[in-house]
Amino acid sequence: MIEKNNNLLLAKITIIALIISAISLPQFFEMIAPIWILIFYIYWLIYSESKSAYFLALMVGLIFDLSQGDILGQNALALILSSIVILRVKKSFYVSNITTQQIYVFLASIVFLVVFLNTQLLMFESDLNWLILFSPLTSAIFWPFVRFTLAKLKH
Amino acid sequence: MRLFKILLPLFFAVSLIVLDSRFSYLNSFKSSLSTIFSPIYFAVDLPTQIIEWVNERGSEKAQIVSQNEQLRNELIDLKVKLQTYNNLVLENQKINLLLNSSYTLPGYQSKLAQIKSVSQTRLKKQVVINKGSNEGVRINQIAISSNGVVGQVIQTNPFYSIVQLINDPTLHVPVKSEKNGTRGITKGIASNKSGMVVDFFPINANVNIGDTFVTSGIGSIYPAGYPVGKVVEFEKNDNTQFLSIKLEPIVNIDKVEYVLIIATEE
Repeated sequence: MIEKNNNLLLAKITIIALIISAISLPQFFEMIAPIWILIFYIYWLIYSESKSAYFLALMVGLIFDLSQGDILGQNALALILSSIVILRVKKSFYVSNITTQQIYVFLASIVFLVVFLNTQLLMFESDLNWLILFSPLTSAIFWPFVRFTLAKLKH
Repeated sequence: MRLFKILLPLFFAVSLIVLDSRFSYLNSFKSSLSTIFSPIYFAVDLPTQIIEWVNERGSEKAQIVSQNEQLRNELIDLKVKLQTYNNLVLENQKINLLLNSSYTLPGYQSKLAQIKSVSQTRLKKQVVINKGSNEGVRINQIAISSNGVVGQVIQTNPFYSIVQLINDPTLHVPVKSEKNGTRGITKGIASNKSGMVVDFFPINANVNIGDTFVTSGIGSIYPAGYPVGKVVEFEKNDNTQFLSIKLEPIVNIDKVEYVLIIATEE
């Protein structure tokens, strides 16, 4: 029953993240926007007891790749590696104050961004917009709001 | 066992990245699966649709609006055809200079589509259009506006398609100078909203600020002669055999509402 509720919460979270990410923004805001899929998934990781966190990160990442027209596996790989960071500090994360949680989210976002950008650079050899480097910071800033909103959704 | 739980998804993700970026085996699989995400685009677009619907209902001149839209579509269509004819005139002048040359222009079909949203991801410059595979839109078809090339279809589902814009850093388009026919390849600049560069343009070729670059037709995806961009900056670098040229796209995507999807007649 708990597992079923966890999966239902993950489905809801994924759909919300997909919708938020699909909203068109001016380029500046698009670049610095939080990594929604990551911070939503972090919330689920922290409050669920699932034993298939990496497999589900793969699935959620693939769904995101498909919906955004990205290379298949690009978001998935970044999400799996960020999940490793969060799961390493899960117990500490759960009892930490909001500032410490924001630091963990910031670190996981950096891992996500490094993996995501490296995949892009290796495959396409294109240049980057430096504004994207602000997204881990905005992810950390938005974390308390996401946590509060999703807590309402959970209940 | 724990290591296996991490390594298996990692291996799977890396394999998919390589397969998807280097080969096209997964294209049809991606297209069929992306159908599931149509409701997301619909949900995001819903507020705009409602506002448009209310506006149209509230108008006493609904018929005029409809007629106006039809005429606007026809105008776009005619402007696009005119671009081809302008190119044909130029080509004809060149052909007249060559006695033994042969030249054939392939046939193209077009479909009108409306742009639903712009730029969904932080690394890609792309738009979503309201025509999908149900209306015959296919991957690799190109999108043009009344002024020039907009981009290339990279993903389709039955209801929507995603068009990668011409100024995306990962999209390479074969172009030529309209003035002298010298060829190069354009790609977008990620750090610039609308800038493009021309690669492999010979250093001894004649180029000036304001020169127009059009599609060269090489590679058979892009029909020849559609305007791509105007030269805003160029630089000669002694260390390379190529000129460094920056283009400004002729099409301002922020102002484009409708595009024509062009397909080669099979």
